[in-house]
Amino acid sequence: MATTTHDEFEDKFHHVALRHERSWVFIAVAMTAVLFIVAVYLVVHDYGLVAKTTRFYANPDTPATLADFQGTGIKQTGPSSYNVYEMGRAWSWTPGTGTPITLPVGSHVTFYVTSGDVLHGFEVQGTSINLTAIPGVVGHVSYTFDKPGTYYIICNEYCGAGHQAMIGKIVITGAKQS
Amino acid sequence: MSAVLSPAARSVPTTREIAGEKKMLLAFWVTGFLALMVGIAIGVLQSSNYAGVDLYPYLQPFLKSYYQGLTMHGVLNAYVFTFFTISGWLMYLPARELKLRPNMGLAWFTYALMLVGTLMAAYAMFDNSSSVLYTFYPPLKGSAWFYLGITVVVVASIIPLFVVLEMRARWKKANPGKLTPLVTYMSATILLMWLLAALGAGSEAVFLLDPWSLGMTHTINPLLARTLFWWTGHPIVYYWLMPGYVSIYALLPRQAGGKLVSDPLTRLAFLLLLVFSVPVGTHHQYMDPGISPMIKGVVTALTLSVAIPSLITAFTVALSLEYAGRRRGGKGLMGWWFALPWKDPSVAAQVLALVTFIFGGAGGIVNASWQLDNVVHNTLWIPAHFHLTVGTMTTLVFMGVSFWLLPHLTGRRLYSAKLALASVWLWFVGLMVWGFAGHWAGMDGVPRRAWVSGLPHDQYMQLYGGVHPALIMVGIGGAIAALGAVGYYVVFFGTLFGRKDAKAMVEIPFTEVIAGPEGSTMSRIAEHLGFWTVATLVITLAVYIPVLWPMITHPIHAPGFVLW
Repeated sequence: MATTTHDEFEDKFHHVALRHERSWVFIAVAMTAVLFIVAVYLVVHDYGLVAKTTRFYANPDTPATLADFQGTGIKQTGPSSYNVYEMGRAWSWTPGTGTPITLPVGSHVTFYVTSGDVLHGFEVQGTSINLTAIPGVVGHVSYTFDKPGTYYIICNEYCGAGHQAMIGKIVITGAKQS
Repeated sequence: MSAVLSPAARSVPTTREIAGEKKMLLAFWVTGFLALMVGIAIGVLQSSNYAGVDLYPYLQPFLKSYYQGLTMHGVLNAYVFTFFTISGWLMYLPARELKLRPNMGLAWFTYALMLVGTLMAAYAMFDNSSSVLYTFYPPLKGSAWFYLGITVVVVASIIPLFVVLEMRARWKKANPGKLTPLVTYMSATILLMWLLAALGAGSEAVFLLDPWSLGMTHTINPLLARTLFWWTGHPIVYYWLMPGYVSIYALLPRQAGGKLVSDPLTRLAFLLLLVFSVPVGTHHQYMDPGISPMIKGVVTALTLSVAIPSLITAFTVALSLEYAGRRRGGKGLMGWWFALPWKDPSVAAQVLALVTFIFGGAGGIVNASWQLDNVVHNTLWIPAHFHLTVGTMTTLVFMGVSFWLLPHLTGRRLYSAKLALASVWLWFVGLMVWGFAGHWAGMDGVPRRAWVSGLPHDQYMQLYGGVHPALIMVGIGGAIAALGAVGYYVVFFGTLFGRKDAKAMVEIPFTEVIAGPEGSTMSRIAEHLGFWTVATLVITLAVYIPVLWPMITHPIHAPGFVLW
């Protein structure tokens, strides 16, 4: 590939191109710098939806035996804050699939999520709650339910033949408090 | 310079030797496109699934479930089609550019190994023993045939690197002090990037999956395996895209009647893609526990940097096309666009691929942004995104390339230019419709890879009824693209078995450049590929050691599950 046959048209075009090239590279770098700053800002000012690690377990069957994951799996931790201990198994969410998780509007909920078998995806439709359920790791995310209604928990990580039917329910009751 | 006596000149291949090389590339492309044909046929079932139409019951006992179909769709399209076409392409083009004969023994060995690996994996997918999808996340457990087959294919895909480096070394010896010609430079960069990328899934397969599936180990660390998978799983998209870039940078401008605007800027883009694409795979795991938020922040920043070479590509390629359009008499702000040779199916395919790629790239910036990814992670948004990128920048570009490459390889005339043009438009429109609708449905929380049409109708409507118009569009888009594929394969086979034509012996449209590499400091710096490869490996390890450390110090022993 060699540079050949320059003519007036090409020289003129090249001249303009060089000028545009400089401004384009500048715009690209500036845009990336802005995105970078925003990304770092959001890392520092975490608003709760970041998937965090609670604990690792060498034996993935251990979390199921812990007190937190027994009973309803729902614990009130303050006037309007709750911990929900969520176990994903092929193909149900406990709590959520058998009996819906029922909480009052305005609840600030921290979901502690793990899996008893393969990978699952803990997604609450209509919110930004999204956390991978991994056997042997308990992760957590927080979210405040400001609107009453029924929210569906959907498994969004392939987990076998019943994956599409691995659905749970969160019912947020009452009127919105001002 | 005594060009006649230089070793490079003496090893110029004869017509007969070139015929052998053409046969080699034809074997790679025909095998790859046959895999794609099966993959696309199954793809129609996937898109109609989202529209609420379950076609799988009609395919018993051939295909037992949506998930078996999806596994085959993913493996055949994303691995088999790409690995075959890319491996052949990246060995053949540099050989023609340098006018050297590649190591044909190694080239055919690559082909044979890939074929064996593909047949092993195909067997394990057809008997439904390995419906683990193309991401094969353990502790779901497929058969050993599946993992060993994929291992063999990945190992084979590394060999073309040595074929290209050996040719480059021979050329440099004969041309001391000269910069590597552009296409060879691009090919070597892609394959070096792929070598570093393949270390992740390669070690996952060899150290975790193969021994586990053979019964040598009883448990597996699902988080570690997944992290090693994504070490490869992100840069693999660049391994898919960049061979398409070779055509749009170095061949398309000539086909469109123009020249490449800047050779140094092209080298810079490829170099940045090498450096930025390997360390960032963890961004596929923003939603995973077990990885510190600090690392996720670093990965976000690094991932967004990949936008720089992509924006350089947008600039250089668009300007080269503008040059071509103005040469052809296009006036005004956008006149050059309409002056492009739109009747040429090869040009149309590649320019349309670039159009979809604008939307693909914009969506990619959303995925790369940690907090925005929360909303779309593992929803239909994601496959919609990569059908606009890999489904076009690789697939549609290679479809376009095949319209001149098949005549070039076989000496037969293109079956029907009109049908070829119609097929690329249908593919483009189909993928745009499905891509738009899939992004929309994904934002509303429709998950990816779910057999939603297998749900009772009431439940399907309760969960996804709110975006049913979008989901119907997904099905329609898939059907339109499939029509395009039917047209494409008529042209494909029509050309392969068509009439010989002396005029069909097309030359490879290597493009000329306006600003060459000579005298450019950037090109000189970019030339040291060994240094840049080591630098990339160092950056990759610097990012990955803190990611992998907690996983290695807190090992998880999970048993395997077969749940389909």
